[in-house]
Amino acid sequence: MRFKSIVIVLFITACSANTQPPLEVKAETCDIEYTQYQATVTGYCQEAEASLPAEIPIIEKEIALRSVASIPDVFWYSTKMKYSLVKQEEKAPLAFVIAGTGASYNSAKMISLQKTLYQQGYHVISLSSPTYSNFIINLDSSTDFPGVLEQDAKNLYRIMKKVYQQVITEDNVVATTFSLTGYSLGGAHSAYVAQLDESEQIFNFEKVVLINPPVSLYNSVNILDSYLDLKEGGPDAASTMLDDIFLRFADSYAEQESSSFSQSAIYALFRDANLSEEELKLLIGASFRMSSTDMLFALDVSYNVGGIIYKNHKINKFESITHSMYRASVITFKEYFEKVLVPWQQESDASLTREALIARLSLKNIENYLRHSDKISLVTNADDIILAKGEVEYLQDVFGLRAKIFPRGGHCGNIDRVSFVEYLNSQFQGAKQ
Amino acid sequence: MMAFFKLLTQSLAILLIALLSACSSIPELEDNVEKPRVKLSSVYEEKAVTNQYDDPWEGFNRRMYYFNAKADEYVLLPIVAGYKAVTPDLVEKGISNFFKNLGEFPVFINAILQGKPSVASETLGRFAVNTTVGVLGLFDVATSIGLVEQNEDFGQTLGVWGVNPGPYLVLPLLGPSSLRDAAGTSIDMFALQVVIDELGMTAEEEMFLSLLGSINTRANLPFRYYASGSAFEYERFKVLYMKYREIQIAR
Repeated sequence: MRFKSIVIVLFITACSANTQPPLEVKAETCDIEYTQYQATVTGYCQEAEASLPAEIPIIEKEIALRSVASIPDVFWYSTKMKYSLVKQEEKAPLAFVIAGTGASYNSAKMISLQKTLYQQGYHVISLSSPTYSNFIINLDSSTDFPGVLEQDAKNLYRIMKKVYQQVITEDNVVATTFSLTGYSLGGAHSAYVAQLDESEQIFNFEKVVLINPPVSLYNSVNILDSYLDLKEGGPDAASTMLDDIFLRFADSYAEQESSSFSQSAIYALFRDANLSEEELKLLIGASFRMSSTDMLFALDVSYNVGGIIYKNHKINKFESITHSMYRASVITFKEYFEKVLVPWQQESDASLTREALIARLSLKNIENYLRHSDKISLVTNADDIILAKGEVEYLQDVFGLRAKIFPRGGHCGNIDRVSFVEYLNSQFQGAKQ
Repeated sequence: MMAFFKLLTQSLAILLIALLSACSSIPELEDNVEKPRVKLSSVYEEKAVTNQYDDPWEGFNRRMYYFNAKADEYVLLPIVAGYKAVTPDLVEKGISNFFKNLGEFPVFINAILQGKPSVASETLGRFAVNTTVGVLGLFDVATSIGLVEQNEDFGQTLGVWGVNPGPYLVLPLLGPSSLRDAAGTSIDMFALQVVIDELGMTAEEEMFLSLLGSINTRANLPFRYYASGSAFEYERFKVLYMKYREIQIAR
């Protein structure tokens, strides 16, 4: 999750004036007690890490979709849509990868997928999630309000066409065929994009792999929201618990011999902190809430919603927006759904019911397509925390032999582990065919 | 180095006096605005992690954060990119080790000031081994024989002595700090200067050394402004900085 990467990044940046850049040593496995929550937070570190290249030639790219003048001041650093390209020397198949909720094209999980695909001989184009601030801010028209899968797929498809043109002209990429994948929400997006491609027929995807997708976005997000919903004591309890977790990390760090934060040192910190299930859930919930806070702010700024910022107010780039962060931080997805998404969608379609909208936020909406499309595979874990009761069985039923369900790994915890990467390699063989 | 140091403290002092209290971060609202529909939850606000640290100089800090991001983009990172392009990795590593070895001196002093003899002796051991066997610090031999790197500075020493961090402060080019840590940084720079004076260099050589040191420092920091993409990076980074200092001091 993003929280983990932020914490790790901070640790690395904050002390690296005096330390070496991270060494490219294969991280060993950890001896933390397994739960699906632990695997979601620290990764499924009980299994060995897959052998992937330490460095790949990532080209940072950006594309202008809106005029710079139309980008709000407060997002001055976000005036173009950012994405990345990893390019093979020769002509090769090309894979698009879509990030999960609130994640960027260069999140740790994205990098891991890029390495896997690059190693298999693909050019790789990575896109941020349509829920990521930079994506929201750069959508090219005010009708593209993100958040509903079908509309997101249209936005993604249009952008995929544009960035593909850009890498042809700027980087001389020659693609033989096209494939598509994405993790978490990006998995659900991949399914909808694949369906759109059947009618648009621009890419004619050869292979589409959905990695740990939600079945019902509504269910998944409610699960994540519930992790932060500490009934007794409310915010008080959450803040006390966070403080307590922090103190245990601090104690454990004080005991450590070296002052550096290597991968094994971070595992050791987690082992010593010995987080309870409730505490791990709190970290997952808090990380998700941070993503949703960013998303709400970007939406509000772009569409002048007036929810967490002053309506009709142009935010100055030096202005304190902390109050907006506090306002957004207390909003659960359910509230956002009921108070913003439903009314907004009803404006353009008065007959739309709440239940119909929930259905639109689900893979079930395109079940028939998924059931009969041989190019699409699914990979997930039996204990993925974002799946509600019965949803693993549902996925197994819909995808049949095209489903690969690992017994362990939590939500995307095994994305860089041996058996998962082996599976992906079996699916993405483009260059070897 | 001394010249750079003087320049830095002077400009810092001027900037501080001129800007600290003068800049406002309070929104200037237009006439036709409507209050946000989501109410502020006072309970939440009071308990929020981001609210645990004083930021009375927020107006100044946000401007400095912006300035640093721009300086990074247009000056520092292009220089670092050029430096990396012309320097073979092995040489880069040697330079990085060299400056790290010089930095052992402030770590040693601070370990003593904090009453941590084991950290002090380990650091002294590193300095001795790397300066001799490691050819003036170009090679880090000490780590491979089990003398691990330590991290102490005068900000931490003040913290150990019970000095509170004071308000959050974003320094020009150096980035996130606090009133206490900014004071600590200048003392550490002074200590480093004492070591450099021992090398008996000309003013030009010192200038070159301090320039190279700055480039090396930036080259070794993977941090990029706004890489998180979040509009609230300022708030979150403040918390992470303050928390990180707390665990360093607790160590």
